[in-house]
Amino acid sequence: MVKKWRLLPMRVDDAFMSMAIDEAILRLNAEGRVPNTVRFWRWLPSAVSLGCFQSVEREVDLAVAKRYGVDVVRRITGGGAVFHDHDGELTYSVVCKQGDVPDDIIESYKLICGGLVQGFAQLGSRAEFKPVNDVQVNGKKISGSAQTRRWGSVLQHGTVLISPDVRKMFELLRVSPEKISDKFIASVFERVTTVERELGRKPSFEEVRNAMSKGFESSLDVEFFEGELTNEEFALAAKLKPKYASDEWLRKR
Amino acid sequence: MKFAEFKAPKGVIKVELELTDDAISRISLSGDFFMYPEDALERLERALVGVKARRESLLAVVRSFYSSTGAKTPMVEPEHWVEAILRAAGS
Repeated sequence: MVKKWRLLPMRVDDAFMSMAIDEAILRLNAEGRVPNTVRFWRWLPSAVSLGCFQSVEREVDLAVAKRYGVDVVRRITGGGAVFHDHDGELTYSVVCKQGDVPDDIIESYKLICGGLVQGFAQLGSRAEFKPVNDVQVNGKKISGSAQTRRWGSVLQHGTVLISPDVRKMFELLRVSPEKISDKFIASVFERVTTVERELGRKPSFEEVRNAMSKGFESSLDVEFFEGELTNEEFALAAKLKPKYASDEWLRKR
Repeated sequence: MKFAEFKAPKGVIKVELELTDDAISRISLSGDFFMYPEDALERLERALVGVKARRESLLAVVRSFYSSTGAKTPMVEPEHWVEAILRAAGS
């Protein structure tokens, strides 16, 4: 029998609400209250998310973030700092029971990132999984993901770089200012690419979402049904949001 | 406050520490690695306090941390933590 997973409508939220929604879905999925779920979403305002083990002072220039009106939030997942450009980046989240993905961490990334690989193929770009947690096109990173396993369920969220403002990204992330030269930006583009650059056009967020969601259905071998966040998820997210917005959480490391 | 970083195959490990009589009296680990479960990192930090900043002593503590917690850190090995800590201690 085909497994049915929930696909949520695209949302646009601030960083703190988005992180709270991901945690709410994870907790309620673990309790058996909501089905395995995939969602796509954007950040408004643009934001920097930090891996849960990163030092905020060492990784982000908070003064620059303030000047640009960019939120800074700590994730519950490990990995690195990401600039989520409202106009140039789509984020996905997958939440499922631990038993529905391989126990081996890299194998589970491979399965879920496989949805992105197939999604990029839908868009007309040949991508491949790069362990532990990246997807590359021609050896250049186009997507990074981060995963946590808690309470018996798995949350993996990640970024699809569509057309991010790379110069702003490196002003926000702690790279010494003298390094942010045209030459440095050029060197970044030898290691990182974007959907816009690979396709020679900027697809709409809906087009990328549709391609990636088809990719996930195929890689996860499931069928999506269109669902909504439940009232319980909203209520829990509202309760969790203040933690993500707090200075204490941001400065945990 | 001593500080150093070390690039493991997956992730940069950043170490801040203080030494008292050659032993770690305070330590903070950060970086863009993964660790499952996440709260194990605090246990690793606690386990390192009081340990002499020498390769063999550190390696024994880090290995025992992995076996007692079952923590997993894809592409980051006990030797990588030790290297990062020794660099900070020698900084």
